[in-house]
Amino acid sequence: MSFIEVENLKYKYPHAENLALDDLSFFIERGEFIGIIGENGAGKSTLSQAFMGLVPHFYKGAYGGKIVVDGIEVKKSSVAELCQKVGLVFQNPFNQLSGAKDTVYHEIAFGLQNMGVPKEEMEKRIEDVLKLLDIEAYKDRNPFDLSGGQMQRVAIASVLVMRPEVMILDEPTSQLDPQGTEEVFKAVDTLTELGITIIMIEQKIEKMAAYCDRMLLMKEGKLIDFDTPVKILNRSDLADYGVKPLFVTNICKKYGVKKQDGLYPITLEEVLELKETYSDNLLFTDKEQLAVECHAKAVKTEAIEHKAYETIFNVTDLSFQYVENTPVLKNINLTLDNRPTAIIGQNGAGKTTLVKLLKGLLKPVNGTVFLKDTNIAEKTVATLAGQVGYVFQNPDDQIFKYSVLQEVMFGPLNIGMTPKEAEEKAMEALALVGLSDVKDRNPYDLELNERKMIAIASVVAMNPEVIILDEPTIAQDDKGREIIRTVIDKMHEEGKLVIAILHDMDFVEECFERIIVMAKGEILADGTAQEVFVEDDVLQKARVMRPYKMELYYQLWK
Amino acid sequence: MKSISLYVDNGTYLTKLHPYTKLLYVMTAIAVSVIIGNIWGFVIFIGLSLLALTSGKVLKKTFPLITFSFTIILVIFIIHGMFYHENENVLFQIWKLTFYKEGVLYATKIGLNVLNMLLAFAVFVLTTKPDILVEEMEKSGFSPKFGYVVSSVFQIIPEMTGTMNTIMDAQKSRGMETEGNLMTRAKAFLPLISPVVMSSLINTRERAIALEVRGFGVKRKKTYLREFKKQKQDWILMVVFLMAILASAVWKVIVCLL
Repeated sequence: MSFIEVENLKYKYPHAENLALDDLSFFIERGEFIGIIGENGAGKSTLSQAFMGLVPHFYKGAYGGKIVVDGIEVKKSSVAELCQKVGLVFQNPFNQLSGAKDTVYHEIAFGLQNMGVPKEEMEKRIEDVLKLLDIEAYKDRNPFDLSGGQMQRVAIASVLVMRPEVMILDEPTSQLDPQGTEEVFKAVDTLTELGITIIMIEQKIEKMAAYCDRMLLMKEGKLIDFDTPVKILNRSDLADYGVKPLFVTNICKKYGVKKQDGLYPITLEEVLELKETYSDNLLFTDKEQLAVECHAKAVKTEAIEHKAYETIFNVTDLSFQYVENTPVLKNINLTLDNRPTAIIGQNGAGKTTLVKLLKGLLKPVNGTVFLKDTNIAEKTVATLAGQVGYVFQNPDDQIFKYSVLQEVMFGPLNIGMTPKEAEEKAMEALALVGLSDVKDRNPYDLELNERKMIAIASVVAMNPEVIILDEPTIAQDDKGREIIRTVIDKMHEEGKLVIAILHDMDFVEECFERIIVMAKGEILADGTAQEVFVEDDVLQKARVMRPYKMELYYQLWK
Repeated sequence: MKSISLYVDNGTYLTKLHPYTKLLYVMTAIAVSVIIGNIWGFVIFIGLSLLALTSGKVLKKTFPLITFSFTIILVIFIIHGMFYHENENVLFQIWKLTFYKEGVLYATKIGLNVLNMLLAFAVFVLTTKPDILVEEMEKSGFSPKFGYVVSSVFQIIPEMTGTMNTIMDAQKSRGMETEGNLMTRAKAFLPLISPVVMSSLINTRERAIALEVRGFGVKRKKTYLREFKKQKQDWILMVVFLMAILASAVWKVIVCLL
C-alpha cells in the first residue's frame, strides 16, 4: 500500500458549475518530493487542500472518490486529526500567522500548544526549526514586523515544528527574493531526507526541475501526466498546459544534446555533465553563438542605440526612514528616463519605499524627487494620479467597486475623464489584460491572478506617463506573465516609463532595458541585464541570481 | 509595529506579580472604598495606586488618562455644584453662577471614585502583559477560543489600521483626493469602509484555515511555554486584599448596627 493513495477523486465547489478536481487517481510514496504544475485554475490548490481535508470539510461542496493518507481516509476524519499528519503552507505568509502571538518564538509554539506538546519538548523543537530555517535572529521580533520572505520562513517553521509526515506547500516562494527561494527549496529538500513527504505547487519550474522526484501535471482539474520531471518537461505539448518549456531543454533540443535515455536535459547540472560526451557539439564550442542565445552579450538593436531618451524622474540625495536611526534609503541619486526599468534586490532592500517616494505616497526625509519640473513633495498624490500610476502588490488593497468595469473606470473618472471616455479607456485596458468578458462580474469573485490583472488594467486605463508595478508576476502562470509582458511593451511603445519591482530574473532580463540592483537602501548596480548580471559579488549582496538563461553561458564559459 | 497594548515592559516588581494579584487589587480598591463610602476611603486607595504606579515606574503613562478623566470630573463639578437636588448652603459664587456645598461634596465623591477606579486599573493594565493574562485565564479554565479573541485583538487591530492606510494610499494613487480640509477627508472616509471590510473578510477566511492547519480545533489540553506561578508575595498580597475587603464589610455592618 502506498503512503498516499488518491482514487477517482472528484470535487466541485458549492455554486460552481465545473468540477475543480476531475477523477484523479495516483499514488505517492513516503519521502517523495512531488511537484504539482499547471496553469492557474488547473485545480492545483484545490488538490493541495484536499490532502488536508479542507476540501471538503472546510469548503463543503460535492465530493467523490477518496484520498487515504497513511491509512487514514481524509473524508472520514476531521481537519483537527489530519493536521497532525499533514502540514500546509500557503502563498500569503501574512494570513498564516495566528495573529495572537507577539514574538516569532511564540508564534511557532502556537500549533504545539494546541496539540498539547509538553514545554521541554516544545522548546527543543522550536530551537530545531529556528536553526533549520535560519530565523534564529528574529525569534524575539514581532512576526508582523518581518518582511514577506522572513514571514514565509516563519510560516513554514510554524507548520514544520508540528512534525507533519506530509508537508504541502502552495507557492511558498512567490514573495521571496531569488536566494530566499533557494533557501526554502533547500530547507524543504532536507525534510525529504528526514522521511517527510513533500507536495509542492510552484510556478518556478526551473527550481522544481532541480528538486522534484516526480511531477504531477494538471489542467482543468484533470491529471494530465504524473512522472519524473525529465519526462514531464520533455513533453512537446507542455505549452498547451500553461507551462513554459525550460530554456535549457529548448537549447539542448536545438543543438541536439541528449541524455543517455534519449531525453533532453532539464537542469544546468545535467547539461554540464554532458560536456564530455558532446565535446565537439557547437553548444560547448561556439562561445559567440551561445552568448547570443543566452543573451549574455548585448544584442545591438536599433531601439537601444538610437532612441533619444528624455529624463522623467530626477532624484537627488534622497534619504528615507520610517523609524529614527534606521535608514531605509541612503542618499539615492538617480535619473529615470523612459527605458523600461526593473528594480531588483533582496526582500527589505527598500525597493517599495523607493517607488512610493517616486509616487509621492511617502515624503522624503532628505533630498528631492522631481517629476519633470514638478517637485513631488509639493503636490498631493491625487493631483499627480493622472501622471504617475502605481499598481500595489496586493490587489485586495485596491479594489473599491463591485463590478470589474466600474473598478477600472474609478481612476479615469477621478482624474476628470468623461464617463464615455473613461469607459472607452477601461474597455481598452481590460482587453489588453484579456479580461473583457468578465467586465460585469464582481472583482471579488475572480481569482487572485485575475484580480491582479484588474489592478493593472485600472491603472493603465488612467493613461499615466509613468506606470509603476510592484511585483506584478506574483501568482501569474506563464500565460499571465506573457500578458504582463505585452502590457509593458505597449506602454513602452507609447513612450511611457514602466518601472517594476520583480523577483523573477528571467522575466527581468527579457522585458527590461535597464535594471537597478538594490540592497540595504543603496543602489549597487544600474545598467542593462548584460551589465548588471556579471558581477557575482553584487548579485550575492542583493540576494538575487543570474537569469537561468545567462547562467548557462556563465557556467560553460566562466 | 505600533502596539495598542498599554503594557510597559520595564521589569519592575509590578510586572512580575501575577495578573490575578493585580486584578484582585483593582477589585479591592473599588470595593473597599465604596463600602467605606466616605472621601477618606477614596483618598487612601488613590494614594496607594499612585504609590504603586510611581514604584513601578509607570506614573508618567497615567498622565494622559488623568487629564482625560479631569474633563469629565470638571463637568460633574459644574452640574452637581450648581444643580444637585439637595443643594442648600452656598459655597461660593463666580459671576452669576452659584455653587453649593452639598453639590460640590457629592461631585467630589464621584470624581474621586472615577479617579480611584482609573488609577487602580492603570496599575493593572500598565504592568500586565495581555498575553500572560490570557494564558493564565486559559489555564484557569477559560476557553482557548475566548483567549484567541482577546489576544488577537492586540495584534490584528494595528494590522487593520495598516491595511486601511494601504487602501487609502491606493485610493489616492487612483486620483481620489483624501488629503486637505476636513470636508475632503470626511468624504474620503465612506469609500474606505467597503474595501477595508472586504479585505479583512478575505484575510479572515485564510486565517481560519491557518488556525485549523495549526491544530486549533484539536480537542486536547493545551500546554504553555511560560510558567507564571503565583509567588509568595502574590499569596501574601492576595490575603491582605481579601482581608481588607472583609474588614471593611465588617466595619460597615458594625457602624450600621450601632
